[in-house]
Amino acid sequence: MSAEHLHDLTLTVNGVPHPVSVPARRLLSDALRHDIGLTGTHVGCEHGVCGCCTVLLDGQPVRSCLMFAVSARGHEITTVEGLAGPGGELNAVQRAFQECHGLQCGFCTPGFLMTVTALLAENPSPTEDEVVEGISGNLCRCTGYQNIVASVHRAAALMTDGAGEPRP
Amino acid sequence: MSDAMSRPGTLVGQRVLRVNDGKLLTGAGTFVDDLHLPGTLHAVVLRSPIAHGRLVAFDAAEALTMPGVVDVLAPEEARDATRPLRCVWLMPGQGQVDYPVVPRVVRHVGQALGVLLATSVAAAEDGAERVRMEFEELPCVVDVEAALGDAAPQLDPGCPGNVAVDLPRGDPPDAVEAAIARADHVVAMRFAIQRLAGSPLEARGVVASWSPATGELTMWSSTQVPHHARDHLAGALGLALDRVRVVAPDVGGGFGPKDHLYADEVLVCLAAMRARVPVKWIEDRREAFTATVHGREQIHEARLAFDDDGRFVALHSDVLADLGAHPSNVGAGPAFVATGMLEGPYRFDSSGGRVRGVLTNKTPAGAYRGFGMQQAAWVRERLVDEAARTLGADPAELRRRNMIRADELPYTTHTHQNYDSGDYAAALERATELVGEGLPAAPDDGRRRGVGLCSYVEFTGLGPSAVQEIVGFALGGYETAVVRVEPDGRATVLTGVSPHGQGLETSLAQLAADALGLPITDVRVVHGDTATAPYSAAGTIASRSMTVGGGAVVRAAGRLRVKILDLAGHLLEAAPGDLEIIQGVVQVRGSPTAAVPLRTVAEKAWLAWGLPPGMAPGLEEKDLHDPQDISYSYATHAAAVAVDLATGRIEIERYVVVHDCGVIVNPMIVDGQTHGGVAQGIGNALLETLVYDDVGQPRIATFHDYVLPGTGEVPDMVVEHTQTPSPFIPGGMKGMGEGGTIAPAAAIGNALANAVPEIAHLVTETPMTPARVWGWLDAAGVATDW
Repeated sequence: MSAEHLHDLTLTVNGVPHPVSVPARRLLSDALRHDIGLTGTHVGCEHGVCGCCTVLLDGQPVRSCLMFAVSARGHEITTVEGLAGPGGELNAVQRAFQECHGLQCGFCTPGFLMTVTALLAENPSPTEDEVVEGISGNLCRCTGYQNIVASVHRAAALMTDGAGEPRP
Repeated sequence: MSDAMSRPGTLVGQRVLRVNDGKLLTGAGTFVDDLHLPGTLHAVVLRSPIAHGRLVAFDAAEALTMPGVVDVLAPEEARDATRPLRCVWLMPGQGQVDYPVVPRVVRHVGQALGVLLATSVAAAEDGAERVRMEFEELPCVVDVEAALGDAAPQLDPGCPGNVAVDLPRGDPPDAVEAAIARADHVVAMRFAIQRLAGSPLEARGVVASWSPATGELTMWSSTQVPHHARDHLAGALGLALDRVRVVAPDVGGGFGPKDHLYADEVLVCLAAMRARVPVKWIEDRREAFTATVHGREQIHEARLAFDDDGRFVALHSDVLADLGAHPSNVGAGPAFVATGMLEGPYRFDSSGGRVRGVLTNKTPAGAYRGFGMQQAAWVRERLVDEAARTLGADPAELRRRNMIRADELPYTTHTHQNYDSGDYAAALERATELVGEGLPAAPDDGRRRGVGLCSYVEFTGLGPSAVQEIVGFALGGYETAVVRVEPDGRATVLTGVSPHGQGLETSLAQLAADALGLPITDVRVVHGDTATAPYSAAGTIASRSMTVGGGAVVRAAGRLRVKILDLAGHLLEAAPGDLEIIQGVVQVRGSPTAAVPLRTVAEKAWLAWGLPPGMAPGLEEKDLHDPQDISYSYATHAAAVAVDLATGRIEIERYVVVHDCGVIVNPMIVDGQTHGGVAQGIGNALLETLVYDDVGQPRIATFHDYVLPGTGEVPDMVVEHTQTPSPFIPGGMKGMGEGGTIAPAAAIGNALANAVPEIAHLVTETPMTPARVWGWLDAAGVATDW
């Protein structure tokens, strides 16, 4: 049996073009993690339920485990590595998760950060119900979500006026 | 960071932000699948597709011709190269005490048989499809009660009748029976608790690397217990302990199942030793559902006897624990704990039980957060509510009148638990108060509403070693800390416990920073690598890291403080008793000009010039802390629910936790652990279950059909604490990692029965899914039309 045919393409991740050579069946999650070496995107189920692998494709959240790398050609991909500032300073969403203890083991966290980034871009001041609904496609086994919901509100506050207190 | 957080000596009790969040928030964490060693081959574990049968043929010839396939470790080869894995918790008379890395007769779907290595995961998976395995199938048994029947297939020659363990608990059976016979009333119910998967979002995984030149094996593993895994890995492979190193990198949750070494992890290491290049194996989610231990499944035939005046007389439960294919590392341990903690916070004239651990053709059952105490709470607290119903009494009042009072502590139960300290009734009182507050006036939406309570006492801080010896749990119950002030004046804490989300990197640092007068930013906690961490027999399990591990830090840092003050006193020509350490500066109390930086003290200590006579060089203290006794946390949870009579759906409208885990080091972390525990308890109560068909095939093997709680199922909860210090733990902490999971099923079940008393006698099984609850509603004739 012969080796698989490889496709040469360029994936643009966090604004940086990455040439990769991958088989057609290579998942976007695997290409990001193993071909490009951006291991911040995590894989929790590989069947699209847990949301750990969420990345932004042209600003929209997608499950990178349900997408082939070759399908991402020509799109702007944003991963968790693209969130912090140039000097490594945490952005508002990341800061909010730290301040509100919105993470424990940290495995699901990159997926939540990407989902929340897209949520707040679309709706900068979501209601409680909108937050609960907005992150309902991501699973966390550690936090019980209460502090993640608080983190989203805190991030919204930080992004709009740079102030606001975290909920207890 | 608030002022308080930068002020040393005041960190315990503060909401200190976690020191390790930065890497996790930027994608810079290093989980095991993030490791890339040059030349790594990828492993697929070859597994049994059937539940019971003898492997009669194995042929990898075609697989080895596939592109990228490098090697196949066959079952015979693996069996010849390995020794069986020992069961760690052995009950008296246990019929099976170890299990082979690769069996001749498979006993469950997913049991590991061999390993295939290839140059990529995809090539390995393709190759594995071409490995031919033929089995002589044997009849199987999946139901624990059927396994006890005369006609049941026998799984292990050492376990006649499939019973691996059978032992009495508590008072002698005739004493319990006599007490029950004396009582005015008996509530007897049969409870079934489902099989669950702990489901950390990072499944298990291993990178194994063998150095032929040094004869050294390194295993990076997503584990809670690096030393424990190392000891068993060396044993299974016949290697010296000093040639085996286990590293837990960042670990994406544990919750119990990652508390021991698995046979498949041995196989991956063996394959790496043969291949002489690094090998990576990452368990996929589907695989995790059959290869990683399950938890919880028990049946309780339980009775609560009480008098007309509501006084509890006796409690008894006859427990069948479904151990699965073989006793896991902890075997019938969860049933032992379930019966041990059955009495909860109440007085009884007599109490006892029977534990039978039974083999079935399912994945072995092991540790899962709560470890038997969830079952104990479900059984006892449901019985208490049904006793209240029998008497027409208020459930809170019935609890109150039977609760062990604060002035009765310490108190020894019939299963020899020495409850230490606390005020159980105060937690009950406060939870009862809080659950009613802020509850919206019930809308007239056709749903029934009810409130339920669950009070429990929790065994935490696994130790002392002498107790471990008495119960046959072959893990030392101590922990060790090394606290060092480095020559630059910063501190390093080496700990044997191995955090994977609990925030110990921060809370252990708080303890050391307070003792040493340093800001939190000057203390670093190092853990997780057997090459550097002090030996830890038990690791991060059983709500023990802050109690046993934290107690070691308190003592080591306390002794180091004494040495620092002695040396600084020598340098300042002051009495050590007059000194304090503020922000890394040792100064005469009230006279800040007479001061020496801790850094200077450390430089002198490590240079060992000009030390006082008899003082040893360096600033490092080690403490091996074997706790004086067990610490018992406790809580009352209260749930308010709405029940839809047309669909059987339960909505939690309010959830309250009033909890006591002794001294709280970091309230932010403690609340977070509680929230997460309650969420898992809600999954246990309402959603999660593992189901097998009658030939032992799992019907549930994805997150599509194993429903973890999401944002929609977990309500905001109110969490309050009281703090009764542990009398036995330096620092006064009690364990709390598991507590949240223990009570939700019972609180929600009691709320359901309170809302719909017509079905109260049926509320005996979890999960209380809409389908199951609707069945109860229908049986009782109270289900309504859509």
